[in-house]
Amino acid sequence: MRTAIAVVLTTAALALPTVDAWAAATAQKTVPKKKVVTVRKSFTGTASQAGRWGDLQVTIVVKKTTTTVIATKKKTVTRKVTSVRVPVYPDHTDRSVFINEQALPILAQETLSAQSSSVDLVSGATDTSYAFQSSLQSAILQAKSW
Amino acid sequence: MVAAARTASPPAERLPGARRVEQIMGLPIVVDARDADDPAALDEIFEWFRLVDRTFSTFIPDSEISRLNRGELALVDAHADVRTVLARCEDLRSETNGYFDVRARDRHTVDPSGLVKGWSVDRAAEIADGLGWRNYAINAGGDIRLRGGALPEPVWRVGIQHPTLRQKVAAVVASDDLAVATSGEYSRGEHVLDPHTGRPPAGVLSVTITGPELATADAYATAAFAMGVAGPAWTARLGRYGAMTILADERVLKTPAFARSAGSNIAPSAG
Repeated sequence: MRTAIAVVLTTAALALPTVDAWAAATAQKTVPKKKVVTVRKSFTGTASQAGRWGDLQVTIVVKKTTTTVIATKKKTVTRKVTSVRVPVYPDHTDRSVFINEQALPILAQETLSAQSSSVDLVSGATDTSYAFQSSLQSAILQAKSW
Repeated sequence: MVAAARTASPPAERLPGARRVEQIMGLPIVVDARDADDPAALDEIFEWFRLVDRTFSTFIPDSEISRLNRGELALVDAHADVRTVLARCEDLRSETNGYFDVRARDRHTVDPSGLVKGWSVDRAAEIADGLGWRNYAINAGGDIRLRGGALPEPVWRVGIQHPTLRQKVAAVVASDDLAVATSGEYSRGEHVLDPHTGRPPAGVLSVTITGPELATADAYATAAFAMGVAGPAWTARLGRYGAMTILADERVLKTPAFARSAGSNIAPSAG
């Protein structure tokens, strides 16, 4: 899951053009020929259904840099994702569950534990990563048209 | 992606054998063959999964399943694999008291994808055996068939995903010959519904089934999850198939067969 998020974020950063570092550096050496304006705005993706965990919604903060070459009035706009926030999942674990008492003597009962064991493979459902990608994608699309 | 192989030590580039991930049937499919010297040896397995997708996909208009559902193909004229899978779906429907039902959403069409995934991995394992592999694992979107060990380790260690803390595992199953299927919420936003009520089951976070065949394990996991709180009692009678149910109140219920097949006390060897 963590890997999936990292991959998605890398893609997100690449999808928006980054600041042209070379152009910025050369501009510094000469007398003011450029005007650079930086603004930040946050975008919230559509709420995506993350299985039984309820809706998952991603908010990104985008930094928009507008560089104007004074002589030609040519404008260059770059946008970069500077942060991604995901609200916590709703807590569904406080409900008591009544199961068929007849089954209890046969079944070994434990309390759920969270381990970080080293494993070769993971068996489970993949719904939350899909919801995350879907919500993030919609937030990025909004930022692109800003 | 949770389904991707998480490697224990040593690092991936020094692991023996060959491994690859491809997105087929809408799932990330991982094949990790520790005794395959040539990465091209994996081609045959992935070609099989692509053939399965072309035959069974409900999203591909000229797949046999799409043509069956439009009434353009008669069941008797369908490929033997299609008839085998649909017959197996019927057997499993009665075996699970109707809780595993490929016709659950729409009585007029079939979507056997709930069985096709596990069945195609079982067949892929036969291909792997035929290739002479003795140490391999196939993971199709979190449902796993394994054999031998994650060389140089003598067994494969399968983490059962924690239902709420997605980066953690709730249990570890270590084995050298096993199928493992977990049902919670399906990917792509689909819900497992109780076919009798049309509503999501209550009280259960996930069900993991272990056993010899993935097709059966996967169908049992789907059915037991759909049964909700009645699931654990049903899983206690599954014979060679073991079950672990995680309830919404954080109780974990394991059948004796799960504890046996899991061998969960096998510690990772040092180094």
